Amino acid sequence: MMKAISVRGTVASRISLWCAGTVLALGGGVASAAGVTDAMIKNDAVTTDQVLTVGLGLHGQRHSPLKTINAGNIGDLVPAWTFSFGGEKQRGQETQPLIYDGKMFITGSYSRLWALDAKTGKMLWDYQHRLPDGIMPCCDVINRGAALFGDLVIFGTLDARLVALNQDTGKVVWNEKLGDYKAGYSYTAAPLIVDGLVITGVSGGEFGIVGKVDARDAATGKLVWSRPTVEGHMGTFKGKDNGITGKTNASWPGDMWKYGGAATWLGCTYADDVGLVYCGTGNPAPWNAHLRPGDNLYSTSTVAIDVKTGKIRWSYQSTPNDHWDFDGVNEFIPFDMDGKKVGAKADRNGFFYVIDRANGKLINASPFVTRQTWASGVDLKTGRPIESGNRPGDPSQASGEKGESVFSAPSFLGGKNWMPMAYSPDTGYFYVPANEWGMDIWNEPITYKKGAAYLGAGFNIKPLYEDYIGALRAIDPRTGKIVWEAKNDAPLWGGVMTTAGDLVFTGTPEGYFKAFDARTGKELWKFQTGSGVVGQPATWEQDGVQYIAIASGWGGAVPLWGGDVAKKVKDISQGGMMWVFRLHESGADVAKN
Amino acid sequence: MRAAVSLWLLWTLLPGTVSAAATTPTDPLRSPNWAAMVERHLNGGPVVFDERVQVRMPQTAEDPMSVPVEAVVEGLENIQEMRLIADLNPLPLILIFRPTHADPFIAFRFKVEQSTPVRAAARTADGVWHVGGAWLTASGGGCTAPSYGSGSGLWRDQLNQVSAALWPRGEDASRLKLRVMHPMDTGLAAGIPVFHVESLSVEDASGRELAKIRTYEPVSENPVLSLNLHYRGVVDVRGRDIQGNRIRARVAP
Repeated sequence: MMKAISVRGTVASRISLWCAGTVLALGGGVASAAGVTDAMIKNDAVTTDQVLTVGLGLHGQRHSPLKTINAGNIGDLVPAWTFSFGGEKQRGQETQPLIYDGKMFITGSYSRLWALDAKTGKMLWDYQHRLPDGIMPCCDVINRGAALFGDLVIFGTLDARLVALNQDTGKVVWNEKLGDYKAGYSYTAAPLIVDGLVITGVSGGEFGIVGKVDARDAATGKLVWSRPTVEGHMGTFKGKDNGITGKTNASWPGDMWKYGGAATWLGCTYADDVGLVYCGTGNPAPWNAHLRPGDNLYSTSTVAIDVKTGKIRWSYQSTPNDHWDFDGVNEFIPFDMDGKKVGAKADRNGFFYVIDRANGKLINASPFVTRQTWASGVDLKTGRPIESGNRPGDPSQASGEKGESVFSAPSFLGGKNWMPMAYSPDTGYFYVPANEWGMDIWNEPITYKKGAAYLGAGFNIKPLYEDYIGALRAIDPRTGKIVWEAKNDAPLWGGVMTTAGDLVFTGTPEGYFKAFDARTGKELWKFQTGSGVVGQPATWEQDGVQYIAIASGWGGAVPLWGGDVAKKVKDISQGGMMWVFRLHESGADVAKN
Repeated sequence: MRAAVSLWLLWTLLPGTVSAAATTPTDPLRSPNWAAMVERHLNGGPVVFDERVQVRMPQTAEDPMSVPVEAVVEGLENIQEMRLIADLNPLPLILIFRPTHADPFIAFRFKVEQSTPVRAAARTADGVWHVGGAWLTASGGGCTAPSYGSGSGLWRDQLNQVSAALWPRGEDASRLKLRVMHPMDTGLAAGIPVFHVESLSVEDASGRELAKIRTYEPVSENPVLSLNLHYRGVVDVRGRDIQGNRIRARVAP
């Protein structure tokens, strides 16, 4: 009559529903007394028996201290179990699994979430969010992971809701609105939890929405503060006005700031020593920059927000008056460099930035791609790019509808896109999944209409080289130099992880999950997962065994927006699978699972 | 979950002292599923068949997506709750009703998959389930078809909107009829996940509960419910669906 396991399918859960508000409240409280605490979340980066955060820690370094699996034995890495996401909804799977209390929590395409037994892969419950027909995700129906707090697992949906479910039962505890999906809002990034607050951004920068960062009480979903990321919009704190972001019309003309974009679609990281949440902001809207002269703050920036007050402490804008869709959303990863408290970011625009994490002062900026047509460098004194006059022409000055087209590198999909890099405190290197591509881009007239694409630009993406687009690069943040690289035919679109075993893991659209030597870049191991890998790896230890997990399932923005590049990936099979690996022992031992 | 179940059992058994050895009496409707229903949906009993509990509905389901039913208890005092069950539906439990300050009466519509007994079980303070029911003939398919709302794509715009009316019935009683806009998808139609209203409570102006209803997959799309409240005046309707979307309405006579 119904699936053997479902959100509310068992007799036990049926019977208990009735008394949820009365007797169960007592029982539930006892059962979940432990739960995930703020302290556990802050220690996640150095804890090996659980994975509580997407990014393996609030700073998002994606480094694990585990070294059971290392260069010496990686040849013995074999699958332990797999799990199919099922259904006909096999699209891009960009999730990272979370591990807590013997359970794995994963999100999937079309706003789905599963709880599995982490050791065996047995499904415990599933949740399929009911999506309206009118959702407007720009770049595939993906999700990038959940967050854990107390006895809750929390994730964002394509219709811009934030949903909290009980970790044991899968029952929805609260469900709050992040934005109006009809105006183009959605949410796909993993929420961040700091001091009992669940912190989220919004997606929808292609539809003229206004970016913001919200902090809610993680237990109840109630809004605590909200900080818009476009100048001129009022922030709130506990329902009261909390100051306008920036100064109205300081860097935006006329009314253009009202639909200014700057979507915070990749979420945030956090540094506890300075109490700041770092959120990247997307392109200003529309793409046609001739319509919005000025820097257009705080688009294409890293914005550092005081987690206690919801006010912006500092911001750094990597692409002022962006004309190429160089979203500044990329993760800002706090780390310590020669005793200095800094952070690093590999931007869509092709520069790798090192910035003082307390005050936002630029320390270094160096290219991590081979070609940048739009700027020749970054002035370290002013922090501004040195532009090379490579902007598309103004359509209002042209004879036809279209302005003059220019060739630009990187392309709008970026020297690096959403896929997160990793930092190893052991080697001191960042591992950046980069792509080498350019585009023809031209501008067109555009006016804002609710819920309609708000671009005013046309484009066509092209590879820069015959033999590769993707390149996993190890970068030394002290010098900005590329230490090693591993090229890949198709564009890289998956997250990176590094471990104390001196390994770097990432996946490829060709379907391989790969391990590299963290010091030399030598490819040590690969496994064919059956579909393109655009997920984020994670690793943990359970009963003395180190496990490594990756989602497989091709999709994301490349097949939808990739122009000439899309031809390179058009024959990749769809998928939707969680793969979990461990070191091979005797067959008998593995069978015991 | 196991702890919760035992608490529930404790709670249901506490008010009265019932012999645990009670055996299930022979089912007058001779349903092959009745023993399982008692086990799964009536906490294992004890159960008595009682003509004071009645299910009123057409003999034949003209529209399997929407079969009108009235469940009523007459001549039995102190009803703690009522459960409505269609034995041979793929999802038998239709709804649970707690008439805190209301008649042991509820009218609703439900989806039927095939011919089935439809039961009302009313639990008295001594823990005994008093059961009445009737056979419903149906050609079927009501549970496995997509809802109209899901088919049209318009369900989201009206989700959880409430229309309601109150009719005074004497000094301190009134009849409440309400409709909640919701696709009530069973999860059995291909590609459409389960999605239904989970709870509705009716409160007086001071927040006192007058009645509480738990609804499950078989309740028809855009549920229409009628209750007889022991109260006259403005009432608040509060509830949610299984995905945490809230239902809120205030109804004036």
